[in-house]
Amino acid sequence: MKTIKKIAIAIGAGYTPGINSIIMGAAISAHKAGWEVVGIRDGFEGLLFPEKYPNKGLIDLGPEVISKLNPMSSDAMGTAASMDPFNVRTINELEMIEEVDMSDTLLENIKKENIDGVIAIMMGRGLSILHKLNAKGLKSVCIPRTVENDMAATPVAFGFNTALSFCIEMLDRAKQAAVSAKKIGVVEVPGSQAGWLALQSGIAALADAVISPEFPCDVNDLAQNLKSRITPDKPHALVVVAEGSSFVNLPGRTEDTLSDLRKALSPSATEEDSEFTINKSGQAAKTLSYALQQLLADEVYPLVLGPWVRGGNTTAVDRQLGLAYGAASAKALEQSKFGTMATFVPPHIDFVPLIDALNKVRRVDKDHGFIKVAQALGIYTGV
Amino acid sequence: MEAQNYLDIKGRVLNIQRFCGEDGPGTRTTVFLKGCSYRCKWCSNPESIKPQPELDFNRKACKGAAACGICLKGPFPPGAFYVLDGDDDKVHANWDLANACTEELAELCPTGAIGMFGKEMTAGEVLTEVLKDESMYRNTGGGVTISGGECLLQPDFTAAILRGAQESGIHTAIETAGNVPWEFMEKVLKYVDLMQHDNKLMNPDPERHKKWIGVTNKRSLENFKKAYETFPDVEFIARTPLIPGINADEGHIRAVLDFIKPYKNVIDYELLPYHRYGLGKYAYLGKVYELQDYQSPSPELLEHLRSIIDEAFGRKAEAKA
Repeated sequence: MKTIKKIAIAIGAGYTPGINSIIMGAAISAHKAGWEVVGIRDGFEGLLFPEKYPNKGLIDLGPEVISKLNPMSSDAMGTAASMDPFNVRTINELEMIEEVDMSDTLLENIKKENIDGVIAIMMGRGLSILHKLNAKGLKSVCIPRTVENDMAATPVAFGFNTALSFCIEMLDRAKQAAVSAKKIGVVEVPGSQAGWLALQSGIAALADAVISPEFPCDVNDLAQNLKSRITPDKPHALVVVAEGSSFVNLPGRTEDTLSDLRKALSPSATEEDSEFTINKSGQAAKTLSYALQQLLADEVYPLVLGPWVRGGNTTAVDRQLGLAYGAASAKALEQSKFGTMATFVPPHIDFVPLIDALNKVRRVDKDHGFIKVAQALGIYTGV
Repeated sequence: MEAQNYLDIKGRVLNIQRFCGEDGPGTRTTVFLKGCSYRCKWCSNPESIKPQPELDFNRKACKGAAACGICLKGPFPPGAFYVLDGDDDKVHANWDLANACTEELAELCPTGAIGMFGKEMTAGEVLTEVLKDESMYRNTGGGVTISGGECLLQPDFTAAILRGAQESGIHTAIETAGNVPWEFMEKVLKYVDLMQHDNKLMNPDPERHKKWIGVTNKRSLENFKKAYETFPDVEFIARTPLIPGINADEGHIRAVLDFIKPYKNVIDYELLPYHRYGLGKYAYLGKVYELQDYQSPSPELLEHLRSIIDEAFGRKAEAKA
């Protein structure tokens, strides 16, 4: 087994607050082992196109740099809009755009830089890409991060607590506004496949209803429930809806008409917003508000937290988790736990094969404890 | 091209669409080819971009794991398709792994949920399809249009189809953005009656074109000018996909007019209002559509911009929306 002398840290696409804390945890632990630590700029771009960057696309993460990092931020290494070395957009010899597989270039450059292992901070598609790189020989450990907490194999991903705290604060404000205006506020929170943010923030804010992607929402049923809650003493309500929620019995839905333009310009035109279209931020709040407005006498308005949730300063919980995930991952590299992902099962951080987290989504089950808590508090969940 | 029967030349075809009314004069058959040299963020045919045939997954057509489940095991790549916990047992695609699927594998799916965008055909096979509507072309003044993607990325194939069509007396047209080596365009234009070309973004800042389309328009513009001058008998129509906030303004329209008006064989300038009808196809390809929040231009704006074009071409200004 080769002794590790140098490791790299890479951050997948997308923004999560406080990633510096993971970098600090990993680097401090690695420095203690006597390793050199570098960061790859902008996802994998730094090592795919080293000529574009200073210092061949790497950032020194030595003790002095680490001591000056702000753990609340995520600004140490930059991010990439996409992080797929198997599908990199380039300009070819005929000066035309093409997407090419540059995974071999990446792995060669990792080798050329004498990098013995990579800590990859990933979510979503990043896991599949890392899995493919691992199959080609990359020695990596993955740290899960997502504000939606929907990654399988770990009950708590980095970034969720910060997003949850922000959502609760915003729901408190939305509730004050709804009370004041005597209206029904429908607040959309992130959650394309799982309703953890909606459910947990909705419980904390004592919302009237929480709608999650796991349980298609019958808007008639929800409207009846809200009717029973709205009284002269309480002429307002707060509904929390996850962005990936789906709805049945929507009132007044009309079939789209096929315009001449549509027929003319697209050889196999499909519906504009089908159920398989990637969900648009704000669509769930808008759809549900419009439906409730038609079914209730009260005024309903949508609010969307969307990208606001992914910014800001990290919470104490995430800061601790980031440091712990980072430190444990450096240790995992030392123990040759390559091809694994960190998982936090309080109070322990463990490592599971990355493949255990692929093609799975951690979703809210109808028997989950949080559903029971919501029901005990009288919050409508549709379950 | 002359060494072999030109109709045996093979190319990658996305789709052949009959009875088209918008891709040139009369009623036409439009042949959409695979592969594009631009990456417009508003692209309504994302399945045409990649040169090779690629996976098309329509989850609506899936019967579910219990009723079928054939794609969840070999010979399909491990992890390419999967089912989530819960009541819905329809299959999902992991696009990073499923893209390794071949046409042969796609054919194993009994419902057609898994398919391929694009297939290889010979020019002769395409021509056989085109000739099916020969009498309709004569009755309507129509013909065949080769579109894309970018049809000039397959110059020999495109030229072969058009040559065959011309030899049968059929009107020929192409739709192109022009970002190819000049030799490609020259080879095809010999067999073209009408070239419809895109002037997508005539901004003095080439970086703006690069930002929205992926490369600058320097070569496209050079090719267009050369084409006007080298092929005086070919008719040209400039076109702009009109996207509010990007190019739907008077300055852009006038810049295109300044570019084309010195050439008498540029017979018109058409505006194609932005639409989002291709949006659903992004899901079939596992891609993200970046212009979710963009809207079509208003009828008033369209009328105003078209009136500028009508005036430039000496026509009475009238709303065509």
